[in-house]
Amino acid sequence: MIAFHLDMRSGVPAYLQLVQQVRHAVRMGILRPGDQLPTVKEVVSTLTINPNTVLHAYRQLDMEGLVEGRRGVGTFVVENPQLVPPEGLDALRATLERWVTSARGLGLDDEAMAGLFGEAVRGSSSTGESRVA
Amino acid sequence: MTWVAWRLQRTETLVALLVLALVAVLLVPTGISMADAYRHDGIGSCLSPNPGFACANRIGAFQAQYQTLNFITNWFTLLPGVLGVLLAAPFILDLEHGTYRLAWTQSITRRRWLFVKLGLAVVAVIATNELLSLLIGWWRTPLTHIDGRLDSGTYDTTGIVAIGYGLFALGLALALGALWRRSAVSLTVGFVGYFAVRIIDEYWLRGKLVSPLHAVWHGAQAPGYLASASILSQTVTVNGRVVESNSSSGGVLGAHSQLAAPGSGQHAVFHVTYQPASFFWTLQIRETLLFTAVGAALLLFAAWWTHRRAA
Amino acid sequence: MSDSPVVRTLGLGKRYGASWALRDCTLEIAPGSVTALVGSNGAGKTTLLHLIIGLGRPSAGSVEVLGRSPRDEAENVLRDVGFVAQDHPLYRSLSIAETLDMGRRLNPRWDDAYAHERIGRLGMDPGHRVGRLSGGQQAQIALTLALSKRPQLLVLDEPVASLDPLARREFLGGVLEAVAESGVTVILSSHIVSELERVCDHLITLTDGHTQLEGPIAELLARHRLLIGPRADAASVARVHDVIRESHTERQTTLLVRANGHVYDTCWQQHDVDLEELVLAYMGHNPGASFAAPRPEAVAR
Repeated sequence: MIAFHLDMRSGVPAYLQLVQQVRHAVRMGILRPGDQLPTVKEVVSTLTINPNTVLHAYRQLDMEGLVEGRRGVGTFVVENPQLVPPEGLDALRATLERWVTSARGLGLDDEAMAGLFGEAVRGSSSTGESRVA
Repeated sequence: MTWVAWRLQRTETLVALLVLALVAVLLVPTGISMADAYRHDGIGSCLSPNPGFACANRIGAFQAQYQTLNFITNWFTLLPGVLGVLLAAPFILDLEHGTYRLAWTQSITRRRWLFVKLGLAVVAVIATNELLSLLIGWWRTPLTHIDGRLDSGTYDTTGIVAIGYGLFALGLALALGALWRRSAVSLTVGFVGYFAVRIIDEYWLRGKLVSPLHAVWHGAQAPGYLASASILSQTVTVNGRVVESNSSSGGVLGAHSQLAAPGSGQHAVFHVTYQPASFFWTLQIRETLLFTAVGAALLLFAAWWTHRRAA
Repeated sequence: MSDSPVVRTLGLGKRYGASWALRDCTLEIAPGSVTALVGSNGAGKTTLLHLIIGLGRPSAGSVEVLGRSPRDEAENVLRDVGFVAQDHPLYRSLSIAETLDMGRRLNPRWDDAYAHERIGRLGMDPGHRVGRLSGGQQAQIALTLALSKRPQLLVLDEPVASLDPLARREFLGGVLEAVAESGVTVILSSHIVSELERVCDHLITLTDGHTQLEGPIAELLARHRLLIGPRADAASVARVHDVIRESHTERQTTLLVRANGHVYDTCWQQHDVDLEELVLAYMGHNPGASFAAPRPEAVAR
C-alpha cells in the first residue's frame, strides 16, 4: 500500500503530486498490478485534502491507463500499466544530459537552467491544454 | 423539546427546591411547636369577645416568644424575588454564552424554543412560590389568629400574591437579560428592581388597590370591627384640635389594641382610614393580577426582543 | 444531487444601524464544493454566514438555501443544514451523550448510530461533561451534532480559529471525510488563509462587506502570475493585463497580475502565486478590485 505525502510549497498542484507518486510507485514496484490504491476517504483522512483533489488524481491515472476504478470496490493498478517504456526514458535522459552539458558550457547555473526549462514546460502546457477562459 | 428545556433548567430548579427545603427545615419543626404552644397556652380562648385580663399578658408572652422567628419569616417576602430571578438565569445564560445559536440551528423554530423555555420558567416560578406560600401560611396560622392576615409580614408571604411577585421578578430579570445578555448584572439589577418595586407597593400602592374605609370613634378603645384591620392613616384630635396625625401604613390593630392617646384618653377623637380584614382576598387578587400583568408584559418583551434582534 | 446551487444570494446586504456589515453580495455555492470564506475580522464573514443559516434577516437583497428562504422556512431549511457557530458553543453542563440526545430530539432526521460511532472513533467517553473537554474535543462534538443530521450543506464559522494545530487537522479531516462520504457541500470561514488551499476548492473573499475574489481556487491561481524583472514601468504590462499589486526597489520591479492571456514579454521572470499571497494582494493593496473566476463548466459551455 502506498502512503502519500504532500508538499504544499513545491508549486506543483496537489493532484499532480499524487499522480506522480503513484507513477513512481508503479515504476519502482512498490505498487504492483492488482494492488488497491488507498480509498478517497483514507487519503482525505491522512492528508486533510479536498476529496476532489484525490478524485482528480485518480481520474488522471485512469486516463493514463495506470489504474482502473471499480464501482463500490475501489481503485486498482491495472494488469499491464502503460508507463513510458524504459528505452524511451533512457533516450530522453541522454538528451537531457547533453543539453545540461551545453548549458553549463554557456555559463548557466542550476537556477538559470531550471528557469529556462520551466518556461519551456509552461509554454507547451498552455498551448497544449488550455484550462482558462 | 420540552425535555431539553427542562434539562437545561434543571440546576436552577433544584436550587429553587433546595431553598424551599431549607425554609421547610426551619418552619416545620418550629411551626409544629408553635401550634402546640398556642393550644397549650389557650390563646384561642383569649381571642373571644370577652377575654379575661390575663389574656393580654398571655397573648403578649406568646408573641414575644415567637418574635424572632416572626421577624425572620417576614424577610421571606424576598424569596419570590430570589426564585423569580434564579429561574430567569437559564434563559439569560443561553444568550450570554451564545448557545442559543446552537439551539436555533437545530431543526426547531426560534419561536418554539422561546415558548417552551419561558413557559417552563413561568411554571417553575408559579409552583415554587405557591408551595412557599402554603408552607408559610401553615406556619403562621397561630399568628394570623391573633393579628389577622393584613399584617404585612403575613399578607406578603401567604395567599397567592407571592406568585405575582415571583412572575414580576422573573419578567424583570428576563427583560434586562434580553437587553444586556449578561447574567450577573441582569440578575442583580433585577433583584434590586424587585426590591424597590416591592417597597413602593407596600408603602403606597397597596393602599390604593381598594378604596379604604373611614372610621371615627371617641376614646382609646378601638371598636371591635377594626380588629385585624390595616390602618393607613390616623388623626387624633382633642376638642377639635389636631394632636397627632400620621399616615404611615402597615399598622394593624390586634384583637384588643389600645391606641396611644396623648394626655386625656376619654376626650380624644380618632379618625382613621383603614382596610378591614375582609379586604384580604380582594387585595390579594388585585395585587397578584397587577404584578402578574406587569411580569407578563416584561416577559413578552424579552421574548419579542430576543426573537427579532438576536442573531 | 442536483446541479442547482446550494446557496444563492442576490444583492444581499445587512445593516446594523447606519453601517452596512455586508453589501451587494451576489454569489452561488455549487453542490459538492468546499468553499473558503476569507476576510479579516469585521469584514462581514459571520454576517454572511448568519444570513445563510437564517440567524439574521437581510436588510437588502435575498438569500436562498436549497431553493428556500432560510429565515421564513427555517424548519425546512435547518433540517438539511448543519451549522457550527464561532467558538463552537455547547451547553457545558450536559454530558456528551445528553448533547447527542438533544440533537436527536430537536432534529427530525438524525443518525444516532453515526453520531455515537463518530464519538467512539474519536476516543471520547459519552459520559463526560462537555464543559470539561478540551477545545478541540468540543469542536468535534459540535461538528458531530451538525453532521449527524446528514445535512446537504455544512456551514462552519471560523471552526479552527482557537484550536491547536493537531486539533485543527483532526477537525478539518473530519469535515473532509464527511465530504468524501456523502458529498456534503461545505462553506467554512477563516481569517487564516494558508491552510485552506489543500482543503477547499472554491474561494470567496470579503473586504469591508464586499466580495472581492470569487470562484474555483484552481482557476483563480491559474489566472494570476507574479512577474519579477528589472526596474520598469508597469504601464506596458497594464495595457494587456490587470496589475493587482506592484512594488519597486531601486533595480527590480515585482508585479502581481491577473493575466488576460499569456505573458509574452521575456524580460519578466514568471512565478505561480500561492493562495495566501493572492488574497493579501487583493485585500491589502487593491481593496477596490474584484474578480470572479468562471467555473470550468461555464467555460465548457
